[in-house]
Amino acid sequence: MLAPKQMSRLLIAASRDRMAPVVAELYRHHLFHIEEFVEAGAEGYEGFKIGTPLSGASEASVDLVKIRAIENATSIHGDDIDSAKACTRTELQSRIERELPVLEKEVEDLTVRRSKLDTRVKENEQKIAEITPFLTLPVDLDLYRGYTGFTVFAGYVAREVTLSVPCEMSYSPGKDKNFIVIVVPVGQRSEVERALQEAAFQSVPVPEETGSPKARIDYYTAEISSMTTEIAEIHKKLEDVRQKHSGFLVACEEFLKAEVEQTEAPLRFATTKQTFVAEGWIPSDSVDAVTDSLIKATGGKIYVTVLPIDFEHDRVPVEYNNPSFAKPTQVLMDVYSRPKYTELDPTLMVSIVFPLFFGLILGDVGYGLILLAMALGLRRLFKGEEARQLLTVLRNASISTIIFGLLFSEFLGFAIPGLKPIMPSRHLMVEHGAHGPMIPDLMVLAIWIGVLHITIGRILGIINHSRQDHGEHRTKAMMANFGWIAVMWGLLIAIWSIAALPLMPNLTGLPPVVSIVNIGVVIGAVLAVVGVLLIARDSVLEVVEIPTIISHVLSYTRIVAVGFSSVAIAMVVNFISIGMFIQPQLENFSIFSIFIIIAGLVVFLLGHALNTVLGILGGGLHSIRLHYVEFFTKFYKGGGVKYVPFGMKRRFTED
Amino acid sequence: MAAEVVMTVEMIKASQMGMKALGAGIAVGLTGIGAGVAEMAIGSAAVGATAENKDMFGLALLFTVIPETIVIFGLVVALLLLFV
Repeated sequence: MLAPKQMSRLLIAASRDRMAPVVAELYRHHLFHIEEFVEAGAEGYEGFKIGTPLSGASEASVDLVKIRAIENATSIHGDDIDSAKACTRTELQSRIERELPVLEKEVEDLTVRRSKLDTRVKENEQKIAEITPFLTLPVDLDLYRGYTGFTVFAGYVAREVTLSVPCEMSYSPGKDKNFIVIVVPVGQRSEVERALQEAAFQSVPVPEETGSPKARIDYYTAEISSMTTEIAEIHKKLEDVRQKHSGFLVACEEFLKAEVEQTEAPLRFATTKQTFVAEGWIPSDSVDAVTDSLIKATGGKIYVTVLPIDFEHDRVPVEYNNPSFAKPTQVLMDVYSRPKYTELDPTLMVSIVFPLFFGLILGDVGYGLILLAMALGLRRLFKGEEARQLLTVLRNASISTIIFGLLFSEFLGFAIPGLKPIMPSRHLMVEHGAHGPMIPDLMVLAIWIGVLHITIGRILGIINHSRQDHGEHRTKAMMANFGWIAVMWGLLIAIWSIAALPLMPNLTGLPPVVSIVNIGVVIGAVLAVVGVLLIARDSVLEVVEIPTIISHVLSYTRIVAVGFSSVAIAMVVNFISIGMFIQPQLENFSIFSIFIIIAGLVVFLLGHALNTVLGILGGGLHSIRLHYVEFFTKFYKGGGVKYVPFGMKRRFTED
Repeated sequence: MAAEVVMTVEMIKASQMGMKALGAGIAVGLTGIGAGVAEMAIGSAAVGATAENKDMFGLALLFTVIPETIVIFGLVVALLLLFV
């Protein structure tokens, strides 16, 4: 908890002929994070070379490429399919040999035909576009060309042209462009060209067709429609392939991927002619189990040892170590950055505080239920790991929203009848006698949250510096973090001593020193000055950042402000749909009222749908932003290497 | 002669309320423009970054909402003006 999983650096050395069983065993355990061997300048590895793939690597990759091509053509995604272990390894191998070539040919033929048809459809569409301008003239298309004594001009002009030479002209004005066709004797050609140039003439090529334009267009349209039915048929066939073989294909992909990864693993090892050495990371609690099974698999002809960790140079991979409740929040941590191995892992804290912030912001039973239904419903659609984690985060947030909705007594912006808000009220439009929105109380509450959150951040900062730094810098950095806390609390004490605020301690009654300056102000000022000195001792430039104390704390008022805006939108939607549309009609009911009531319901639904989306954005983005910007900047750097164990989580095949 | 303007207490109160509403509107409106201007450049850069690397989406979204603080402060000021 609050720290990544403990890792050990493992060194494995054995003779080359033991490589295959060692790789298979490591792959099966899915625990060994391989430290890739780089030939140039690896200390202690003089004379070693990068290994070569095991036998069967290229065949497996060729098959894998084929499978992926088929999956691409039939749009099969492993993430969308429920995991089911259908066939055994040998069964799968024989099926790959037997069925894959047939399936590949079938899908390839279909896709090739489809792309050919697609191109022909495009060609025909192009031809139709070329003929369309000539539709205005009832002249066959072959009459436009083949003259020796005449020149034909066809194209678009900006305005009508008057020619002084003898000619045949057809002018058809259009919406944005005017189409013109002129036939003149060859001798007058240059004159006509000049006149046309003045009218901004754009030439249109005469299509190489015979017959009337209309007949040609009909012909091509018919061709296109027959081709589209053919394409639809191909799609149906591909869909059939998908239905029939998707289970087999994803299982094949997984099987072959495992094969390829295993056969190519030696590319990451250091080898000599006779031996190989693999270095990597493994969770400390699994060292014994993996070592034992490696020894067993090789009949004892292997050397496995744990190397000491050098924290200065080693990039230890980081695997989260959280209780299952906090696991989904890891996705939010990875968006920012994975913690370093020596750093505190704040995932657990985020997993508790993020839903709280979300609930405080949205705080509405109605929206909470909608989000809960969404989070649970979408789980059926999204089967990928990351999407699931995000949905679980949303589920937790929506439960917190429902709880805070009860505390605020809100349901889609209405007050819940008979339930008095336990938290300060956020209702804007209230009947006489009831309490209006309690803005000052809510604001002070938000500021309290900010002060506490930031103080926790700084305390974590002290812990992080004490773990990561050494010598004089360590003390200075720790004291500087304490300085930040001192400045913030010093200012707070001074403010409490000058003015009485709701929900905050009142220190104005302390014995005065000079006029309004009482002993509290003095204590606060001393604390602040000591804090500034401590910060300056670590880094003078940091003093410039002191105003961020105020801006960061005030930034937490967004919890109230964003929450208020969603309450306000909900209330406006309710007022427009019910107050303006539905209620007046119910009072004077007529046939026509039905339409207005339906319109009112549409406004109600659309308005609340919009507000739900805004609620997710507002509640989610602002809560996570408070963590990333205001909280993490106090202690968290991140930049840890992700722990990627060699192996895979099998979903469709067996080991 | 100009008609004498008589201001009752109610009128003064109403006019004060109107001034508050104006102030609140200006606070939200101007800070909204400010946040918009600030988000403009970040947003376009964020879209570019996401187009190049889809993994950037989360971080890009986050960068984009950072100037939102400005308009939040405006909203806070408006709420304080109207309800305190």
